[in-house]
Amino acid sequence: MSGLLGSLSIALSSLIANQQALETSANNVANVNTPGFSRQRPVMIAGDPVVLGRLSFGTGVVMQKLESLRDPILELRLNQESQTQGQLDSTLSALQQVQVTFSGTDSGIGDAISKFFDSVQQLSTDPTSLSLRQGVLTAAGNLATSFNTASHNLQTQRSNLDLNVVQTVGEINTLTPQIAALNQQITTFENVHQDASALIDQRGALIRQLSSLVDVSVIQTEHGITLTTSNGTPLVAQERSFQLTTQIAAGGIHKIFAGTVDITGLIPAGKLGGLLDVRDNRIPALQASLDQLAAGLATALNTAHRSGFDLNGTAGTDLFVPPAAGGAGAAAALSVAITDPTLLAASSDGTPGSNGNLAVISAVHDQAVAAGQKPLDFYSRLVFQVGSDTANAAADLSASQLILRQLEDQRASISGVSLDEEAANIVRYQTAYQAAARVISTVNTLLDTAVNLGT
Amino acid sequence: MRVNPNPMPDLLAALNRTRQDTQEALLELSSGRRVNQPSDDPAAAAILVQNHDQTTVTARYLQSLSSIQGQFQTADSALNSVILVMQRALTLGVEGANGTLSDTDRAAVAAELQGIQDQLISLGNTSFQGRALFAGTLTNSPPFVKDNTVASGVRYDGNDAVNAVQIGDGYQIAVNKPGSQLFVAPGHDVFQAMTGLIKAMQSNSGFTAAMTALRDAFDYTSGQRVFYGNTMNQAQSQSTYLGSAKLQLSQQENTLAAADVAGAASRLVNSETATNATLAAIGRISQLSLFDFLK
Repeated sequence: MSGLLGSLSIALSSLIANQQALETSANNVANVNTPGFSRQRPVMIAGDPVVLGRLSFGTGVVMQKLESLRDPILELRLNQESQTQGQLDSTLSALQQVQVTFSGTDSGIGDAISKFFDSVQQLSTDPTSLSLRQGVLTAAGNLATSFNTASHNLQTQRSNLDLNVVQTVGEINTLTPQIAALNQQITTFENVHQDASALIDQRGALIRQLSSLVDVSVIQTEHGITLTTSNGTPLVAQERSFQLTTQIAAGGIHKIFAGTVDITGLIPAGKLGGLLDVRDNRIPALQASLDQLAAGLATALNTAHRSGFDLNGTAGTDLFVPPAAGGAGAAAALSVAITDPTLLAASSDGTPGSNGNLAVISAVHDQAVAAGQKPLDFYSRLVFQVGSDTANAAADLSASQLILRQLEDQRASISGVSLDEEAANIVRYQTAYQAAARVISTVNTLLDTAVNLGT
Repeated sequence: MRVNPNPMPDLLAALNRTRQDTQEALLELSSGRRVNQPSDDPAAAAILVQNHDQTTVTARYLQSLSSIQGQFQTADSALNSVILVMQRALTLGVEGANGTLSDTDRAAVAAELQGIQDQLISLGNTSFQGRALFAGTLTNSPPFVKDNTVASGVRYDGNDAVNAVQIGDGYQIAVNKPGSQLFVAPGHDVFQAMTGLIKAMQSNSGFTAAMTALRDAFDYTSGQRVFYGNTMNQAQSQSTYLGSAKLQLSQQENTLAAADVAGAASRLVNSETATNATLAAIGRISQLSLFDFLK
């Protein structure tokens, strides 16, 4: 095929190809702010040549495909870092609430312990004074209340986290069917060799969202993708999605089930992983420490108190209601056992004016009561631990944010739409289109000349 | 290499960071504290718990010292009166013993000595805020009671126990001396000596022995008074020490927790500058693309 009509057809192919390219640019510009969108690039190739004798002639241009620019490995790294960030984010915000219970040296358990021993020392200067005796009972009451409050706060935070866990499972359950539906659409498109790029981008964005909630492994198969948690619980298998369920368990907290399998302890990352870690490990550990301290302190003070005599010369009884064996729940249940200030056992020999047993009670201040540590040593270590856990989570989170930002940068440098680039491309396509139009008009003139040769 | 065509998220993240720095610096300045939460400085927060306890304890030692001081002063002045009235008794004894007094005069002196005896009992029963100071730990009733069935005519109802009060870590001081040691110590019984002198005065005989016994009791009791003087001295020096310990604790607290005002202020200025620069950058970049130059 050659001749003027051939030139016309070549120019036409150029018009079509450049118009399509212009459309691609227009679409890129339109999606400049679409999250997860990967820019597309037109791939044009020269048309198959025709051979005439010794010569082969080109046949114009063909738009072979529109290529989406994305890096699957980078997407994977982004998903992983989103999991880490989701986990650290929820851990940090939970720990920041937890540490409030342990902040402030002028209030809270540490202060209540100091004030209790202070009141005992004060009584020792005037052991028969009823008002000072009442002062000791009040300080003991405040000590018990401070443990009750701390324990109650931790329990409240645990319940709030539990609520959050249930909500997060709900979010996961709304995301997985959407991903499954996209999988199906993508498969349908690809089966007829159509470009599913926009759908793949949408699915990628949803997987990112899912990754920030739970640890997700993406397995690419020829029939689409499968999403599982890192322990192998399926979330999405091609066109099917699997719901997670929650069931209330002992202690009023929810366990997470996949089918009939309890996977509560098997979610290490994502927002859900962070929530579960604080709910099931960190807060219970703190509660156990508080119980240990409350039980140890109450038991030691009871022993000291029983070794003395009250204002009536009667042997002392327990100062605090004895904590349950093993100390479980001691902080929440701690309460003062006596209300009558005359029953305070200050005397060491039964005479009312003796203050000898107050020295025994005061000595508990420097006695190993919990894990071989003095009461305030134990408590200050607890404060340190809570503080350093929170500080570490904050540092890890800002590191993770930095990594995520860099990965986003990398992703955008490959997939992001640049308006400058698109503007330049549009100029190129416009010029090519105008040139092709000029060719058509030239061919038209030539044809005109040929047709009207006789006149 | 192609760069990220949309730097906005990076800039917004940077803006978020600088605003966070501003907030932290402002919090430090407004609260006056560097450590507001354990995570601000976990090690300092843990030390602050101990510091707070030691401050409480030290303040208590100081208060204990001042509250036992009143008790000491009362006891000391009671003993001072004891010494004065015993001196009067000694003078009366000397007068009675020189043999120039008539029977009527001696009877009058004996009556005055009896009055001194009553005064001594009353001084022995001195109380402070309702507590008998010389009763050992049986502080709720007067320790010295008149009783003709005992040889001295005065019965001691107190005990020998001593109370101690803590005025430093591992530092306790005895805060009372039982009447059994002060007034009725075996061989130095004040009341016994007084009764002996009264009897000598009434019978006009046995003055030498009675006076020897009274002098001995006088010397002994005067000697015992030193206890209160010594303890008050100890209390004084301990209270000086505790004052400086308290100051040190408050300095430590300050070093650990107080805001670094200069540092925080300069961080505030820095973060504000950074915020403004970032804002200016955002204002510039967002407007320009090649589209603006194509006509």
